[in-house]
Amino acid sequence: MNLCTDELAVRLLDPARLLSVTWLSQDARISNVAAQARRMPPNRGFAEEIVGFRPDLVIAGRYTTRMTVALLQRSGVPVLDLDVPVDVAGMEKQIGDLSILLGEEVRGQKLLSGIERRLAAIPQIPDKEKPGAIVLKPNGFTVGRGSLVDDILTRAGLRNLAAEQGLERYGQVPLEIIADARPDILIVDGEPGDGRTLAFEILNHPLLKHLPLHIVRLPSRLWTCAGPGVVDAIALLSRAAIDVRKERRGS
Amino acid sequence: MRACPHAALLVLLGSLTALLLAASIAVGYAPLDIAQAARDWLHGDMSLPALVLSELRIPRAVLGLTVGFTLGLTGAAMQGFLRNPLADPGVIGVSAMAALGSVIVFYSGLAGAFLLALPLGGITGAAVAVILLYALAGRGGSTTTLVLAGVAISAFAGALTSLALNLSPSPYAAMEIMFWLMGSLAERSMLHLELAVPLMFLGWCLVLSTAKDLDALVLGEDTASSLGVHIPGLRLRLVAGTALSVGSAVAVAGAVGFVGLIVPHLLRPLTGHRPGRLLLASGLGGASLTMAADIAIRLLATRPELKLGVVTALIGAPFLFGLIYRLRREGP
Repeated sequence: MNLCTDELAVRLLDPARLLSVTWLSQDARISNVAAQARRMPPNRGFAEEIVGFRPDLVIAGRYTTRMTVALLQRSGVPVLDLDVPVDVAGMEKQIGDLSILLGEEVRGQKLLSGIERRLAAIPQIPDKEKPGAIVLKPNGFTVGRGSLVDDILTRAGLRNLAAEQGLERYGQVPLEIIADARPDILIVDGEPGDGRTLAFEILNHPLLKHLPLHIVRLPSRLWTCAGPGVVDAIALLSRAAIDVRKERRGS
Repeated sequence: MRACPHAALLVLLGSLTALLLAASIAVGYAPLDIAQAARDWLHGDMSLPALVLSELRIPRAVLGLTVGFTLGLTGAAMQGFLRNPLADPGVIGVSAMAALGSVIVFYSGLAGAFLLALPLGGITGAAVAVILLYALAGRGGSTTTLVLAGVAISAFAGALTSLALNLSPSPYAAMEIMFWLMGSLAERSMLHLELAVPLMFLGWCLVLSTAKDLDALVLGEDTASSLGVHIPGLRLRLVAGTALSVGSAVAVAGAVGFVGLIVPHLLRPLTGHRPGRLLLASGLGGASLTMAADIAIRLLATRPELKLGVVTALIGAPFLFGLIYRLRREGP
């Protein structure tokens, strides 16, 4: 009943064992497994629909559809509440634990070894030469220490300037502070938006066009969930980090 | 209270506005050497300080000034024309309708189609509200009628704004209702300024041109007519001026309440109770109040930032209570 737990379920379970995913997982803009998810009926996380599927187990995210989870638990439907990992190691542990619980150890091991192999291939950058980066999400939010995205940045060979400024987890930053931190790379959500929300307006602020920085567009489906998509995000950022470092040496 | 010489009052308010404008530019989130930034900017050197000054600080401060001026000015003009102490773009729903107009244009994607669409949406909304109000409550109508009409318009516009945002495909839209209903100057840019200020200015000119007629109107409509005041023309200028300035202000800064209510009341005794004189003074006062509120927001530095309308409402609501209390005591 959650975009992130859906992805894990789709990747780990034999398709025949999965009854339904959320409608969000069928949207290719935000889901990494939209193609597979479209083959099964969607749900919107309402208790009535879920009971109708007569599931043996409902997998829910720790912070979403709380009313439904409470209702299901009261009516005796087994619910597994998955926590939201805050780093890559936590994500790997979650995949491992879940695959054992679901009796899909083989698929789990395959998924994990793929992740490990790709992580090992990410080139290392010496600390001194790491480019500084700031994440700018819609509405001017950024991520600091102790968050999955911080771990993604670090593993990609970037310094998260927001974390260095003491920001914990998740918060809003004024553009002034961003400009003042002089980042080499600004990481923004992949879709520039259709100009129809204020949330994206900040990403189009003229100030950003004048600052000497690289803007990296990272599709949000790669870093919204603690799932295998994270590895793609790390690889993408790592390439940007290497480019910037080269350019800096050249100049 | 003694009416001080009008010129002195205007000079005083003007200096206060200038002072607050400077303070608003000086206050920010990151330390900034203003002198250095200004030097770089004038030399065409787009250094970091120059960028922060020209792309963030100045647009924000000037927008605070112009939006505040609009609200103070139109509040005074509406109070003068309707002879009603509670007339204010925020209280009687003009801002809410302007927000609705802007929201419809913005979230339907029209705003991307041509540049002026956003302020035009705001202006249309504001115009509908002003015309509705004049039709419903009219001049010299009772305060109750006006406020009831305003409540109805506000509630209607607020509900439709919420509906429009809910229908928007973007998951962020629904959260943005705060901006439209409370207003904010955060992270506005030169683009917003260029979009709204010329239209606001046009509206100011129209409203300010009514000063003499509003003074004459104090003597009653008949006397004013015999003094050469063309009432339908006056009404038209006020409607157009209010719609233009409030509509474009709301389109870029959201609906900031209470400024147009408080400021005219504070300044009225100082202008000898002449509605015409009150206009310019009230505009300057509105600009000062809005910039002061915006400075307070940045000094408090809550994350996420407080909405501008929250601060003005915190100041304005107790003031409104006081006003109602006084009206009750003085009333029949």
